[in-house]
Amino acid sequence: MKRIIIDPVTRIEGHAKISLFLGEEGTITHARFHVVEFRGFEKFCRGRPFYEMPSLTARVCGICPVSHLLCSAKAGDAILGVRPPVAAVKLRRTMNLGQIIQSHALSFFHLSSPDLLLGFDHDPAQRNVFGLMKSHPDLARGGIRLRQFGQDVIDKLGGRKIHPAWAVPGGVREAASVETCQELRARIPEAQATARSGIELMKHYMDTHSEECKVFGLFPTLYLGLVRPNDHGWEHHDGVLRIMDHTGTVLVDDLEPSRFHEFIGEHVENDSYLKSPYFKPMGYPGGAYRVGPLARLNLCTGFGVPLADAELREFRARAGGVANSAFFYHLARLIEILACTEFLDQHLQDPDLQSPRHRAEAGVNHLEAIGCCEAPRGTLFHHYRVDDNGLLTYVDLIIATGQNNLAMNQTVTQIAQHYITDSRSIPEGFLNRVEHGIRCYDPCLSCSTHAYGQMPLYVELLSPDGTIIDQVRR
Amino acid sequence: MERLKLATVWLGGCSGCHMSFLDLDEWLFELSEMADLVYSPIADVKDFPHGVDVTLVEGAIANEENLGMAKTVRQRSRVVVSFGDCAVTGNVTAMRNPHGLGLEVLRTVYLVPEPGTQPHIPDDREIVPALLDQVIPLHNVIPVDHFLPGCPPSASRIRDFLKQLLSGTAPNRSAVQIRFG
Amino acid sequence: MSVVTLTINDRQITARAGETVLDAARETGIPIPTLCHLDGVTEAAACRMCLVKIEGRGRLQASCVTSALEGMVVHTETEAIREYRRMILELLFAEGNHVCSVCVANEHCELQSLAADHGMDHVRYEYMNPKRPVDVTHERFALDHNRCILCSRCIRTCDEIEGAHTWDFAGRGSHARIIADMGQPWGEAESCTSCGKCVQSCPTGALFRKGSTVAEMTKDRERLAELMVARKEKKWSV
Repeated sequence: MKRIIIDPVTRIEGHAKISLFLGEEGTITHARFHVVEFRGFEKFCRGRPFYEMPSLTARVCGICPVSHLLCSAKAGDAILGVRPPVAAVKLRRTMNLGQIIQSHALSFFHLSSPDLLLGFDHDPAQRNVFGLMKSHPDLARGGIRLRQFGQDVIDKLGGRKIHPAWAVPGGVREAASVETCQELRARIPEAQATARSGIELMKHYMDTHSEECKVFGLFPTLYLGLVRPNDHGWEHHDGVLRIMDHTGTVLVDDLEPSRFHEFIGEHVENDSYLKSPYFKPMGYPGGAYRVGPLARLNLCTGFGVPLADAELREFRARAGGVANSAFFYHLARLIEILACTEFLDQHLQDPDLQSPRHRAEAGVNHLEAIGCCEAPRGTLFHHYRVDDNGLLTYVDLIIATGQNNLAMNQTVTQIAQHYITDSRSIPEGFLNRVEHGIRCYDPCLSCSTHAYGQMPLYVELLSPDGTIIDQVRR
Repeated sequence: MERLKLATVWLGGCSGCHMSFLDLDEWLFELSEMADLVYSPIADVKDFPHGVDVTLVEGAIANEENLGMAKTVRQRSRVVVSFGDCAVTGNVTAMRNPHGLGLEVLRTVYLVPEPGTQPHIPDDREIVPALLDQVIPLHNVIPVDHFLPGCPPSASRIRDFLKQLLSGTAPNRSAVQIRFG
Repeated sequence: MSVVTLTINDRQITARAGETVLDAARETGIPIPTLCHLDGVTEAAACRMCLVKIEGRGRLQASCVTSALEGMVVHTETEAIREYRRMILELLFAEGNHVCSVCVANEHCELQSLAADHGMDHVRYEYMNPKRPVDVTHERFALDHNRCILCSRCIRTCDEIEGAHTWDFAGRGSHARIIADMGQPWGEAESCTSCGKCVQSCPTGALFRKGSTVAEMTKDRERLAELMVARKEKKWSV
């Protein structure tokens, strides 16, 4: 089957390609999203001590190392059989707020906004953050400083901006000084102002670009994410799982994250290192679900902070209820940044952040554990098994971006079919729109394809000319 | 002074070095006065251009595509920099090496999801690149001009390095600039 | 106590008779790098980092086991010596699996520091990627063979300072490794007193306290020398 390949997909994290399959008379029959990188964490982490895992799994990704750090530490908590001290939980949550701010800021300002502000059809040589710095310097500066703020929260708490080793099984290594908290708090007004101007910008764009809102990934899917246990409010670090459908009907509620596997299966794709999770009761591919900011805003009853809640109400009005268009991800992301600034303001005033009791110690008390938290891109699970001495015997990382795989594939198909009517001559801007469909999901592909070996493998040994020499089934 | 044609590339890594590059924050404005980003994963040019002055290469060589990209970068760049520990040493990406993928041509075709499902044989060698048996550092496949270790190298390390390159001085090899980790 | 006069790097210095060139140099502030040397235990002359050029002697000499003699002329910083130091460090990195970024000793490691001090910004030799185990069977400590550079400081410390002689070498060449007692898991080695001195002596992250997370393992190597001074001279530093 003939196809056009977009290679590489740019302005996302990681390595990916998109295939546009050509039908008769120049139409596009469907599109596929392929992830083409792989490092094998789930294999080579075996044999390592579990207390090294937070820092080791941080290297899965340079944008969201904190997500892996915290999720791994939580799995470590469970292996130790401890409840981290209250101060440790608060400190971890504080760092996560910083992480969400910087990651979302990167996604919107550095990676996606060039399409929105310069235009999808703008000269590709300029359609990037450097081009934005020339055409919209104030906005670019604001976005850069917003990301910097999030990074500084991580740095001040954890000792470095990227790959801090600070969160550990049992708690965290250091508390935060009063001076640090005050310093960071003083910068919240600017961060908030930037988030709000980003929100206004996005709302105005959506008001004037209804085509994009309808065509960039508008279709029914389920939504999955963490929510707070009792009031089911927006959650980013602890909580319980909730799954709802595209009308807002809650299908699963108050699910303990460690029971994830009861409802979620994983389908293997043929042409991508990325597998596709799906909701088992509805099968594959009908049980496709989305995670991340769009899902979290759909799932939660509210944030619990005033500015973000006001925006959430407007968001829902704009969507007409549940937001089923991937284009709404951008706005959801910006609203989450706003919420994080409001929560940070509260956290940084809490004297518990200075507590000397921020790390519980114990030995190996459980041989299996699942840690779960919300990465900026969606729900993340770290599943470990260890031996009696704490060496890992099994590692499974279930990644946010992977859970969006089915939806991403459907999104690129929808966009390609809408815009490309003659495949013999496709304007570059149309291909860019297809890529933008992926950018809406803010995928993290280094995260998503670390895996091999946890499922039965069928392997073909191919000679250089393509003949099959041998076949092995594990 | 002529503007520097700067490119960045990521191979088998986590993109943390690129994020550290973005941690240059507002110094990026100054950099944009002196350099053009002619190719980068965070920009939209799809084909690596000719006549690049400096290319920062993040990540180790883990698959056939990384290998091809490294050679292209070397052919079309005046100065190539191994950017970050993965490119310099293999680092975490190379941790799979002792576990061995020892076959001459090993290719995971697909994973069998459930018993009884009929597997299809895909035809996608042009999409999903074959893995190399062993992950190797960049300088094992191309000559490299400078090394900037770190996991990732801090933004201040990157800035000092770029400033020296831009001014035509040989980059500083002091311990604080080249420490791994 | 008799004294000898010698020249190091064109500087005339004095040393106690019987002192090594290494000690004589260090006492006058002339740096010579070492890895297998540890104050408080005997020398092994294994790592060859301390090689110096002594006029009149053909080969480079390990200064840690070479006595300072009257009239000796020593050079510690020739181009060849600098090149060999770098090669030694590169070979050590290539032989094991030293992933500094995720190591418990990151930022507190003698191997890492020496490499940075000697301009090692990459390794020119092919990495061997050996498959080596991690021994976490001991209750309090662990040994990651991937990070071991066979300096034998742990062997000498356990033998000479603690007196238990739990550690020793086994195997040859690139198969050489440290073993506990008769090659048992450390947790089953009956001679071990769990004193932890070997952990303190280790220059890298090979020996560490269990539960140490990345970049957390700091060592107090001076303590070992202090213990020996205390034992021999009944002098304690406060």
